[in-house]
This record gives sequence, C-alpha cells and structure tokens, in this order.
Amino acid sequence: MWATTVRGRQLHFHLAGINNQNFIMRDEETGSWWQQVTGEAILGPLKGARLERVPHDELTFATWRREQPAGRVLRPDERVAARYESADWEARMQRVPVATTDADATAGQRTLVAGLALGGAAKAYPMNLLAAQSPVNDKLGPTPVLLVVGDDGRSVRAFDRTLDGRAAEFFRKPDAAPLRLVDAATGSEWDFTGRAVAGPLAGRQLKQLPVLLDYWFDWHAYHPDTLLYNAGAR
Amino acid sequence: MNVEPRTARPTPTRPRKLLWLIIALTVLIALAFVLTPAWLIQPFRPQTPAGLSVSYTLRRWSPPLTLSAVIVVLLCAVWLWRGARWWRKGALVLALALACGLAWLARQNHFEWMFNPLARPAYARANEASFVADTDMVLAVNVNGGAAAYPVRQMAYHHVVADTVGGVPLVATY
Repeated sequence: MWATTVRGRQLHFHLAGINNQNFIMRDEETGSWWQQVTGEAILGPLKGARLERVPHDELTFATWRREQPAGRVLRPDERVAARYESADWEARMQRVPVATTDADATAGQRTLVAGLALGGAAKAYPMNLLAAQSPVNDKLGPTPVLLVVGDDGRSVRAFDRTLDGRAAEFFRKPDAAPLRLVDAATGSEWDFTGRAVAGPLAGRQLKQLPVLLDYWFDWHAYHPDTLLYNAGAR
Repeated sequence: MNVEPRTARPTPTRPRKLLWLIIALTVLIALAFVLTPAWLIQPFRPQTPAGLSVSYTLRRWSPPLTLSAVIVVLLCAVWLWRGARWWRKGALVLALALACGLAWLARQNHFEWMFNPLARPAYARANEASFVADTDMVLAVNVNGGAAAYPVRQMAYHHVVADTVGGVPLVATY
C-alpha cells in the first residue's frame, strides 16, 4: 500500500512486468519502473525515488468488519470475476513452482511468513509458529516487538511493546473471546488493535508496526540479511 | 504465344537489392526491440538486474523505433513496388504488415491483457459486502478516519488498484 504522490506529483500506476515473481509497476506520468514490494523506482527518470508506505493490515474479512463496521470494501469487477482466484487458491499457490535467482533454503520457499523490517533489521516469523505461540514477545534490533495472531488464526499484527520506556511482556488472557492480552507489569487488558481496554493503562495504544505476509523466498530476496524466527520450531 | 521481352521488367539492380536488405534489417531490429523484453520478463523465469535494464530501455524506445520502422519499410516498398513481380509485392505487403503489427505491439501492455486493470473501482459498505467470505483475507487501510478493505482474491488478479482514502491518494498493490 503506497501513497502515490511523489515529489509533489500524483502518479498513476499500472502492472508492467515481473521481477523474480514480484511485480513491477510503471507510472503513466514518467514511465519509470517501480518494484512493488519495496516501493522503489528501479529504472527510469525517477530511479532511486521511494514511495511512501501507507500502513496496512492483512486480516480476515470477519475481523476487519468487526473493527471497521463503517468501512468500505472493493467490489469485484463482474467482467473478470471468473478469473479471480478461487477460495482454495492459497493451497494451490503452494504447488506453483518458484523462479528466482535467489535460492535460500533456510526455510521452505513457500513457507508463509510474517515479515517485519525495522531500521535496517528484518525478521521473518513463520505463520505456523506464530499461530501456535501467539502472542510472541521478541526483539528486533533494539526494538522490543510483539506479534499477535487474531481469533481467526490468520490475521496478524505487530507492535512495539515499549511502555513508558520499558519493554512490556504480554500474555494471552485464557478463554477470552475476542482475544485479550494482558501485560505482566500492570495486568491491563489489551485488544487485537493494540489498545488497552481495561486496567490501569486503559486507553493507551501500542505503536503498530508494518507486517508483510509473504512467502519466505520473496521476503528473503528483498531482505537478504533477514533473520528467521525459529524458537520452538521442530 | 505471348512472350514478353525480358527487357520489359527491370532486373534487380544494386540499389533495389540494397532496399530489400534495408527492409529485412529494419523488420528484424523492430522484432528484436519488441520481443526481447517480452522474452526477458516472463513469469516463472528468473530475472537479472541487467536483463531488466535492457528490457526497460527497449520498452522505452520501441514505440518511436517501430514507428520509424513502418515509415522506412513503407518508403522502400513504394520505391520497389513498380515493376516488382507478384510474389515480391506479396513480400512487401507482408513486411509492411509485420512492421505495423510490431508498432501496435510496442504500444500494448500484455501484462494488462493477462490481468485487466480495474478502470473504475467500486465499493460496497462493510455490512453489505456479500461477495466476500468471512474467512477471506483482505488488505485493510485506515487513513484519517477513512477505512477501506481490498479482498486479496481480487487483488491477486488486478494487482494494482488506485484509491483515495481519508483524502490520501494511494495505490493498493498485491
């Protein structure tokens, strides 16, 4: 998700190609080519320019609708609806071959990871580990981070878990639906959006961090120095 | 029997041969400009930075270059047309058609043939969106109090959707 105003000019983007299975966009105004995953112009008059990221979540529709009942949803285009992916497309994607010049085998190439990039440091969290261990209290570079998987088992959010200058530890409140987290220091209760809803810290909001759900091969290609979270992996 | 004297048709002379050579080279160069990027940027094949750079340059210059190719082939064909045998005329028509076809292709984006762009994105209210299943994933943004969701199954086809949320022009990509 990218803001489209670059150097005071609004750009209009088109799908224009593919680079090791991550697509290239072309802007109508200058004809420059942009890499989708990094938002960077890789060729053309704007080469080196970067799009400003608009933070986004990747959630199940049910979770999003509960949080944003007044929001709006993109309608399908009836002319091409037959060409949309089917409901089981994620399972099918697992069988699509991977073509890339980057061949790192630390994790399976199509392992679904939640990728976190923060001030030059990057770490990938396999979704199956997150779903089993959520919430995960971790550290990336100097930043204490918190990764939380929603009630649906698929939505994931990351937060900076610094509270009043100290790294807070979060636990899951047993049998709470929708899910509630509890911080160890104050016992306050927090919801999936990172807001304290009960206890001494009620009303406080954790700073959300951008997460990218991606395949390991793609994440690794664009974050070659990435770490891989594997605590508790078998 | 009606045998025309051989001298009635001009025999191919050196300048005529040169014009044929120019036509052949022009069509080959235009063909290379149009097909090379399509070949280098194939899905399910790895790409290199050098290959992308070559593709960008060829794509950038192929519209004016193929237009010039049409003009060159047309001029040569007009020059050669008079007195050419029928099969040579056929070859001239074919070369011109090929040059025109390449000029058209140079102005097409075949990735948008495969994945039609969404010309006029339309939206439904969250509680009226019966076309999304509860378990479907969506990309969700929240800007200045405006909230929008883009179902991943639609995004995996269109890949690029322009929108303005909370007054901020943005592009949803997947």
